[in-house]
Amino acid sequence: MNMNSRYPSFSELNKPIREVVTKRLIGVTTDSSLQEGVAKMVEFTISSLVVTDGTDPVGLITDTDVKRAVADGLPPDIPVEKVMTTGLITVDISTPIREALETMSQQKIKHMLVTEQGDIVGVITLRDLEDISRQRLETYISRE
Amino acid sequence: MRIFHLSDTHVGSASDFNKGTLYRLLEAINESGCDLVIHSGDVTQGGRRTEYKRARQMLSRIEAPAVILPGNHDARSGGLHLFEEYIGDTSGVREIGDTAVIWVNSAFADSDQGRVGMVKYNMMRRALNEHSDTSIKIIALHHHVVPIPRAGRERNVLYNAGDILDLILSSDVDLVLSGHRHYPNIYRIENTVFINAGAASATKTRYGDVNSYNLVDIDAERQHVATRWVDGSQREQTFSRRRRHVFSDFGRRVFRAVQVSNSYISDGRAFLPQHFRNAVDAISGLQPDLLVHCGGIVREGIPQDYDIAARELSRFNVPVIYTPAGRDINYLGYHLYATHFGQFDQAYSDGAILFQGISSAQYDSHEGIVGPTERRAVLDQLAAAPEHIKAVFLHHNVLPIPHSREKGLLEDAGDLLRELVDANVDLILTGTSSHPFAARVGNTVVINANSLSSVYQRSLYGNSFNLIDIYEGAIAVFEINSLWGRRRLLGIWERNNQSSD
Repeated sequence: MNMNSRYPSFSELNKPIREVVTKRLIGVTTDSSLQEGVAKMVEFTISSLVVTDGTDPVGLITDTDVKRAVADGLPPDIPVEKVMTTGLITVDISTPIREALETMSQQKIKHMLVTEQGDIVGVITLRDLEDISRQRLETYISRE
Repeated sequence: MRIFHLSDTHVGSASDFNKGTLYRLLEAINESGCDLVIHSGDVTQGGRRTEYKRARQMLSRIEAPAVILPGNHDARSGGLHLFEEYIGDTSGVREIGDTAVIWVNSAFADSDQGRVGMVKYNMMRRALNEHSDTSIKIIALHHHVVPIPRAGRERNVLYNAGDILDLILSSDVDLVLSGHRHYPNIYRIENTVFINAGAASATKTRYGDVNSYNLVDIDAERQHVATRWVDGSQREQTFSRRRRHVFSDFGRRVFRAVQVSNSYISDGRAFLPQHFRNAVDAISGLQPDLLVHCGGIVREGIPQDYDIAARELSRFNVPVIYTPAGRDINYLGYHLYATHFGQFDQAYSDGAILFQGISSAQYDSHEGIVGPTERRAVLDQLAAAPEHIKAVFLHHNVLPIPHSREKGLLEDAGDLLRELVDANVDLILTGTSSHPFAARVGNTVVINANSLSSVYQRSLYGNSFNLIDIYEGAIAVFEINSLWGRRRLLGIWERNNQSSD
């Protein structure tokens, strides 16, 4: 077993994102209305929703999409699939945190869906990554 | 992958171990067709050289690859040094096909307690990170991570069980194999199956049990565990490895509860009045159906603190039910509690949901106990409401809490957890150790609350309370910061999901 990490690790960037991924996503189905979607975002105080066709995720709705829909004068009963972001950028759950951050900065996005063996298993947000120092898993019980 | 899991052989004198049983077990191992053998510790009775020699001679009959780890008995008499000489590495990683087994020594010299210190914890964490995409991840350690039923008083605990549990769950470990308490027990906690083996050949068994072992089969779809006893009896459980990650279908919200703990109301610096008042406003705005206070209402059970508490708590414009912590009933608190807040075992029912309080506190003690008589009474009350959503609340924790030293404060935590999980209770709410935590054990969601408004709290997110929303199709739990109102998701779980498929 590798003995290099004798002390608490303060540099987390090479670790896989698995530890910090929120492995539960709140979603709506494609036929839900924009109003139903926004109601869910308000109910759970969240900034993004996964849009699913059956059980398959097909898009994402974020705060920005909602603002754009309102600005464009779209009606509240429009199906979410008309306003969702498609062509999702996903990231594998074993990707190092550094790579996930690079992808988000290059693509100028704050949310990425997380996959494991091709299935969507969670979401990672910029805030999760900013919070890593707070979420750091450590134990302070004794050295040995 | 087939794993033969045994534990607690206790090789020693005839009064300590059943030699014939161990020989028969070794034959069973070689006939089982297993790919891997894991012995989760207490190989010897007393860590003596003669015992290690004998154990090595016996265990060398195993034909399959074997991972053997030390337990507290092996660490007696300077035995950890001998373990390395006769058995092998006390901690390590072994890869077999698409499976990684990470084992750590949780024993230390001349103590029955358990501990995985910083160095070993970081080794374990690094190994889990390196094997993030390995399809089957197994952790083996001697000491139990969660309380075990029918093993007597909860003791000899893993000091940092909360941190270990947090690491295991966030790393999506598939199996955790342990021993130590000489009683077999299996839980699925979130996506991880925790298997505690009974004693393989130790003469000391509990609750009238006899020697046993586990045969574990795991593939891409399921984990299957067969516990086999030497008297020929067998119990099998199967768990699906498929999990739901996207929640769209919540249905109607049927109940909203807020859970708080350790308000620590007083006129001293331990109480943070602004945190408390902001939280009161935030909670009022959420319009919960019920507020559950899981103990630690006052700093001490003295009239001054109770007078302030009565005044501060009158700010809540929602129904509140209470259960005491030890500090609430110290000094005159036993009388003051009854005067200000009513009976000790409080309950709430609206016909569709039942919140049943269990007073686990004792005065002048941090420790708690429910006891077999009271547990039976609670189970009877729960059984009398078969159609209700059922929640039980008490002060003491039944799962270990991150960033705190697990002390086994609730004497009968093992029995209480097992009985409530078996009764398919929907929620267990606790309020010890001032750090939020939530995980589902079987079909039961166990939620611990941080301190609402005390300087004595452990979370880097700050003081908080929990929002528990029960929908027709799911339960969603958020931690909400007391001062600023920032939310953090603790978990969402499908309702009525079966833990064993």
